[in-house]
Amino acid sequence: MAFTSFNFLALVTLVVLLTQCFASPLGRSLVLAAGSAVFVASYLTSPLQIVPLAAFLALCYGMVVWVQARPSRAALAISISLVVASFIYLKKFSFLDGIATLPFPYLVIGLSYILFRVIHILVDACQGGLPAKIGLLAFFNYTSNFLAFVSGPIQRFQDYAERCAAPLVLDEEKVFAAFSRAITGFVKLAIVSAVANYFFGSLSAQLFATSDAWPKAVAIYALAASIYTIYLYYNFAGYMDIVIGVSWLIGLDLPENFNKPFSSRNFLEFWSRWHMTLSDWFKLYVFNPLLKSMAMRVESPALQPYLGVIAFFVTFLIMGMWHGTTNVFLVYGLLLGAAASANKFWQINMTKRLGKQRYKALAANPLYAWFCTGLTFAFFALALTCFWTDMAQLQGLVRLLGIGGILAALLAMAVVAGVLLMAGHALTSWLTPRIEGWSNATRGFVARNLLLGTRVLGIAVVASFFHKAPEFVYRAF
Amino acid sequence: MPDTSANDMDRTMNSGATNLATILKQFGMLLVSVLMLYAIVLAITLALVPLQEEGTSTEGLDTARAGNSLYLTEPKYVFLGRTALNTESDKIILVGASNVVVGFKQAQVQQLVPGAQINNLGVGGSNITQVREIVDLVQDVQTPAARQHNTFVIGMWYGLFADDDVRWNTPDRHAGDTDLDIERYRYGFFRRSESGPVPLLPARYLDVGKTLIHPYLVIDGLARDVANNLTRSLRQSVSTKASGITDAQRNAVVLSENQKQRYLDFWADYMGHKPLSRQQFAVLRELIDSIVANGGRVVLVDLPLPAWHAERSPYFAEYQQYKQQLFAETGNALHVSTVSMHGGNADENFSDEVHPKPRVTPAWAQQLASALNAQRSTAAQALTQDRLTHNSIQQSARQAD
Repeated sequence: MAFTSFNFLALVTLVVLLTQCFASPLGRSLVLAAGSAVFVASYLTSPLQIVPLAAFLALCYGMVVWVQARPSRAALAISISLVVASFIYLKKFSFLDGIATLPFPYLVIGLSYILFRVIHILVDACQGGLPAKIGLLAFFNYTSNFLAFVSGPIQRFQDYAERCAAPLVLDEEKVFAAFSRAITGFVKLAIVSAVANYFFGSLSAQLFATSDAWPKAVAIYALAASIYTIYLYYNFAGYMDIVIGVSWLIGLDLPENFNKPFSSRNFLEFWSRWHMTLSDWFKLYVFNPLLKSMAMRVESPALQPYLGVIAFFVTFLIMGMWHGTTNVFLVYGLLLGAAASANKFWQINMTKRLGKQRYKALAANPLYAWFCTGLTFAFFALALTCFWTDMAQLQGLVRLLGIGGILAALLAMAVVAGVLLMAGHALTSWLTPRIEGWSNATRGFVARNLLLGTRVLGIAVVASFFHKAPEFVYRAF
Repeated sequence: MPDTSANDMDRTMNSGATNLATILKQFGMLLVSVLMLYAIVLAITLALVPLQEEGTSTEGLDTARAGNSLYLTEPKYVFLGRTALNTESDKIILVGASNVVVGFKQAQVQQLVPGAQINNLGVGGSNITQVREIVDLVQDVQTPAARQHNTFVIGMWYGLFADDDVRWNTPDRHAGDTDLDIERYRYGFFRRSESGPVPLLPARYLDVGKTLIHPYLVIDGLARDVANNLTRSLRQSVSTKASGITDAQRNAVVLSENQKQRYLDFWADYMGHKPLSRQQFAVLRELIDSIVANGGRVVLVDLPLPAWHAERSPYFAEYQQYKQQLFAETGNALHVSTVSMHGGNADENFSDEVHPKPRVTPAWAQQLASALNAQRSTAAQALTQDRLTHNSIQQSARQAD
């Protein structure tokens, strides 16, 4: 069920209305479960396709019950190993080629995010961090909530349980905010990302058709990679706005997943602003344990700061590889890992060389800061090339552009993005106080609905330009 | 002691009802706002860009004019402009792919066939499935009486028999949607179903629908103009395709060996590197039967290709085989006639691998007009004969009384 489809809108409408009709915690949970079941079923063409996912959920629930009943490091290790092994088997990672797979097509959508949520529950259950035993209904709703099933956000179970138990009270402001948020999501998804996708499609076709490396292919590549990054951001952020807006109406209050990522001044900051719930998950369940484990083994104080370099590399390598099952995602993981560890290495060495104060002063220098902002965008755009190419196309691109061409594209993207982001920031700072009066005037019930109505019309008009609503990119991961 | 659980239940139900009322109020307000704004936009666009009716009693529809109309593209022009064909006068309706659009200039054919209105509904990139959809869409808006005045001219060549799975399978569309289907779904006049497009707006209300979507058409045109102007220099600098050329340049084209090979490769990709679709020939047979069953006539035109293309494409020989079989089967049919234009296949008559040069189109028009006039004359004679027979039967009956 596509997020831009009539069916999804109908499902959301029904779930929201029924949630108010059955407003008790149990009633809401039952409505959510039914909605999630309908949502998942919409991806099926035969009942058999759900069996592996259902079996995976059953295994996960069994492990959670076991770990909650007998919390121990051994139980945790066994349960996580079993769950991760099942996940890898069901996802058919390319390194498993040759191992017998299930002899029928089946549903893998949502599997990744179920895994993240289950590992979180298992770890917290083992550490005694969960409020109570988790019932089957709560487990299903937490792991398979249709709003966050495809691609998050990853809500903490404790927050989820708290929201479910709290009474659902909506006032005019909150309802308007929810409508506004969801409609803003559709604007991002159906207008901005659709337009960017249109231009990206045209540019990538040109790129793969051209044989002139300099300067044409480099320029087309830089433009295509940048536009793809914009497309991906608005596609994903739009999806988040929609599900977060709807979650307010059913009392779930899903967590935020983006916080102006392109204003980040370095790669590590970027990941604290992009897909934040996933980054937090990796920080909590991969980076922190890994760093702690290394710190316990390495005694030299001189080496301690560099452990972060290694931990970042491993964490981002895994995070990159998680995105897909083919070799190209290994490249993506290596690029992310290299960037994160280089970033950390740079911070350590610059601090050593310049001292904290001078490095801080350098970081505050506008030229340096905006170049770093541009470079962060550019490197992310470069790494995202793995999302829109397969291994053969990626190798073809590297041959076409050469290392020099890739570096030139990176530099061009960094400079142009830096300048544009700086100009955008300046414009926003200049405009904000000036439009405050205007936004006060539009706070009335009628005025703000008229403004919202123009957004709806904008979506309807722009959607009619395209043959097909843009697919949600992250559903593939 | 008060019953706490009953109180909780009451509170929950009250809060649920209040929440529901708040949500419905917000939804209602948004709906009213959207409708009101749309009504304003509709009024403004109608005032600024009045409705244009494509196709008049003197000038038929012509997809070559689509770019200059409010509809912008050939498929949209056909889909929305077809209501002009609901008339009880004789209509010649040309259907096929881009070589029909380019090869048969509507005005040139019209001059040579004065007794009927010429309409060119050729749509670039069509295969038989799409041609069938065009014919069906035209017949949908016509009364039974109007359908009896249709003569569909189907411009045939091997590219028209590309398999649906290959032809209508691109990343920017739902698999299987033709260009016409996209127009059907674009404004919600049809909905997608597993068995194909299902109409939501009855064909008789198409003109009302066109009026209601007027803002979309106006804004679409404006957006394209703006986008074209903004990106023209960019597209020119990155495009690997040649930009538009003049008629004089087209007339002067001489293809290089390299270009010919590129065209052959293109068509091999276009056809999916597999044999011509038998299913497409079956659809064509059904289409002919459907037109005739509705009282219309069919002219199958075997369009020429440059000799080099015909010789070197494996699809051409295969097409000839199927075509001869089709022509043999339909040869004796009362309302079906065939025209072969292969006399005009000299390489110098073509500006590329398929399309005739502008200087050649008068000859194409002449050839088609001769066939149409001959068919019309035969049909008129048959009609006269029918009437005479009918009259003599009536006379005999009266005498017998």
